[in-house]
Amino acid sequence: MIATNVRRLGVYLMLAFAIVSGSIAWWQVVEARSLSTRTDNPEVIAARRSLLRGTIFDAGGGVLATSEVVDGLSRRTYTDPAFTHVIGFSSLRYGSTGLERSFEDILVGQTDPNPIRDLVSDVLARQPEPRDLTLTIDRRLQDFAADQLGSDAGAVVALDPGTGAVLAMVSTPTFDANPIGGNPEGGTAEMDALRNDAAEPLLARARQGRYVPGSIMKVFTAAAALDAGVITPETTFPDQPQQELEGFVVDGFTIREHDLGGIQPGLWPLSEALQVSSNIFFAHVGLELGAERFLEYARRFGFCAPISVGQDDRALSVAPSLMTAPVEDDCGPFADDVELGSASFGQGRTTVTPVQMALVAAAIAGEGVMPQPYVVRDVRPHADGDAPSEQVLDTLGSSGGTRVVSAEAAAATRAAMVDAVNGEFGRLYAGQGDITLYGISDARSAGKTGTAQLGGEQAPHSWFIGFAPAQDAAAPQIAIAVLVESGGSGSGRAAGIAGEVMAEWLRLSGGE
Amino acid sequence: MTIAWRGAEFRLLLPILLLVPMGFFVTNVALAGVLEPGDLTLAVGYVALFAGAHLLLVAFGHRGDQLILPAVGAMGGVGMIMLNRLPQDLAGTSAFGLELGMAATQLLWFGVGIVAMLAIAVGLRDDGILRHYKYTWAAIGIALLGATLLLGYEVNGARLWIDLGPVSVQPGEFLKIVLVIFIAGYLAETRTLLTSARLRIGFLSVPPLPYFLPMLVLFAVVMLIVVRLNDLGAALLFFGIFLTMLFVATGRRSYVLIGLVLFVAGFVVAFQLFGHVQARVNVWIDPFADPLGAGFQPVRALYALGRGGIFGEGLGQGLVTLGGNLTIPFVHTDFIFTAIAEELGLLGAFALLGFAMVLVFRGLRIASLARDDFGALMVVGLTASLGLQTLIIIGGNTKLIPLTGITLPFVSYGGSSVLASFIMIGLLLAVSHRSGTADRASGS
Repeated sequence: MIATNVRRLGVYLMLAFAIVSGSIAWWQVVEARSLSTRTDNPEVIAARRSLLRGTIFDAGGGVLATSEVVDGLSRRTYTDPAFTHVIGFSSLRYGSTGLERSFEDILVGQTDPNPIRDLVSDVLARQPEPRDLTLTIDRRLQDFAADQLGSDAGAVVALDPGTGAVLAMVSTPTFDANPIGGNPEGGTAEMDALRNDAAEPLLARARQGRYVPGSIMKVFTAAAALDAGVITPETTFPDQPQQELEGFVVDGFTIREHDLGGIQPGLWPLSEALQVSSNIFFAHVGLELGAERFLEYARRFGFCAPISVGQDDRALSVAPSLMTAPVEDDCGPFADDVELGSASFGQGRTTVTPVQMALVAAAIAGEGVMPQPYVVRDVRPHADGDAPSEQVLDTLGSSGGTRVVSAEAAAATRAAMVDAVNGEFGRLYAGQGDITLYGISDARSAGKTGTAQLGGEQAPHSWFIGFAPAQDAAAPQIAIAVLVESGGSGSGRAAGIAGEVMAEWLRLSGGE
Repeated sequence: MTIAWRGAEFRLLLPILLLVPMGFFVTNVALAGVLEPGDLTLAVGYVALFAGAHLLLVAFGHRGDQLILPAVGAMGGVGMIMLNRLPQDLAGTSAFGLELGMAATQLLWFGVGIVAMLAIAVGLRDDGILRHYKYTWAAIGIALLGATLLLGYEVNGARLWIDLGPVSVQPGEFLKIVLVIFIAGYLAETRTLLTSARLRIGFLSVPPLPYFLPMLVLFAVVMLIVVRLNDLGAALLFFGIFLTMLFVATGRRSYVLIGLVLFVAGFVVAFQLFGHVQARVNVWIDPFADPLGAGFQPVRALYALGRGGIFGEGLGQGLVTLGGNLTIPFVHTDFIFTAIAEELGLLGAFALLGFAMVLVFRGLRIASLARDDFGALMVVGLTASLGLQTLIIIGGNTKLIPLTGITLPFVSYGGSSVLASFIMIGLLLAVSHRSGTADRASGS
């Protein structure tokens, strides 16, 4: 009798032991990784104090960020402030930003970029192995672009239109990340100063700055309307010459032309309209295209939603560029035709990031295929010295682009953009974007200026988007967006910087 | 008295006793960073204790179970390796002109415990002294508790300790043995009455209360004092032991069910009445809500489990201290299991759990082979105590149940716990000897 009960007790106890075993396995297997990477885990934080982070190299193998362990404390050194808004910093106090954040586990070696090796190393070796990153950015171009911006606040984003590789991504003003990221504990005084600085040096303008685009949006409007078949390169609007003088009345509101600077209005097709940057022409185009198709093309180009430089979580985030008042992480409908007409020439409620506009330029340069931008080229084993390892663990290339408009629509837009820099009228506006001014004799550039009217006394933001080489059938090697805050009209600052940077890249890449 | 070769015990002890010095060696190498054996004195002492216990059992012709001692040796061995690896100033003794660190003190208690175990296993040839004086034992138990209530001092909010000059003892550890003996004696006598009497309310068989009364009254007194002492773990453990013994004695699941309902009801009342019970439950439900305050200890323990993973960080390579502070407070008592699971991983944790299971299931085997009801019930109670302690503290470590301050038998640091556990083993071996299970176990 008792023996029987003991046997039954045994079954219950066996069950209890099984449940307890399960609870151990839950924490040691199922939850192990999420526990070990919890950011509030003080052991994780403390361990990172002594953890070596991988080196970050530029495309040419130059050191941008490096770590050494001194007295058990890992110290990070950042060599070039022009990269601060790309690389970010890693601070125990302020957390990590930029690539230091999105590639954190690879840099400290907690995750192998190869998922199968990752699984194996999880089972076998526990010691973290730091890994190095190589960027797609050539330090020479990045520094050159930063020098061009000088003391102005602004951004330069340059892409390889074929691959989406970022060639330069500069935001100014920048700051020296060494006091914050290089010092495991300190940096509070420096951080407070940066936070209180009215120039907002902590803002990564290239990715997180949103600006009224002005006339550079006309490139988008033209490409979309050409693709939809709403216009051809020969299309004209009969009322347009008169409206240049008197204004274009939409829904009782008068859309007015900007100061044409003495140019006599004519019956302009696309090329001339883009050269003189006619607001009236593009308002007509936008209204012909219609609100729904306008937003549909906008979404295709990446507007209306957050985008990223890189893929999945291995990416730098980019703020969404908007056309209208946002509704649930998307562009809402246009309030009326005035808003649509204004958006067609980059005013109204439109606000965009420099990265997004560089992508628009890249899509035109890429025969209608918009690339997926990326800034980390590959992951390599940690190199002790100043030279990257020969071995490449993982290549983080582009996954190919997205076709946003037809090759024909892109070609027609491209032709108009070439004229906008080199044509009879275009030279007057965007002539500073002509690369032949900066020592390039065998190639031409294409582009479009933008002047973001802010109202009031403030000087307008100066924009330029473009690409080069753009003559005949040449394959463009660089697509660019330049923004200079309060830089005056496009021809003033942005076009010149873009011309210089494009020319410099053709020299650098041609010389290699 | 004839010599009985305990071959199975010898063969099982051999690898365990070789592995303990090996564990010390590996730990020393990992901690010192040089390939030298380091100080193996304690490991040798440990091996000598178990070898001596084995030889004495052989010499006295003991025919008790041969798997119990190896299982204890394995659990204790893992515990000793871990305690030796932790900072030695966590606990210790400075009595009798000796300055002993934590592991050395623990070894000393192992020595005392093994002597007690041998004395009981060999000396207790008749359990009449236990059975017939059950009310005396009950009185001793109540006296122990009363003494704790009056003389005890608090550690961590629970008043469990009595200071006896050179050593502090935890009467609660011994109380559970006394309680088991009393309940076993009582149930052995009244078992037939309890099972035959039937009183049904609906589909539930309700226990015939009058027969239960003396036991229930005593039990209620004990529970009240334990709750008064703020020792929730002991309350849970005592209740579990009681229900287990009741179930084995009567075979009635309904009794257990009623008991569980009562326990839950009591817990709900305690939850409403006592702030510290609420606090503990809240910490259990979401320790991450206040990871630096109330949830500090459990959260740190979970992090340690996560660090361990499947294969562990390796002996001596766990993150025991950080910046001079323990990563898990009370790692040597409440969280010794977590420290082991961190360094030996899930596999090591399962091994430790396996040793405990061997102990428990051999205990149940002894119970089912016992010659009389009293012996069987006592062994069931003692086995349940060892098993439930293991389940409750490991479950507390893994957030399966709220954490309570219960020791892991033979593994946690603590003299009272070690001595009490060895006394229980001694009683198990004594019962086993009388039923001669050794013969059947070894097949000779």
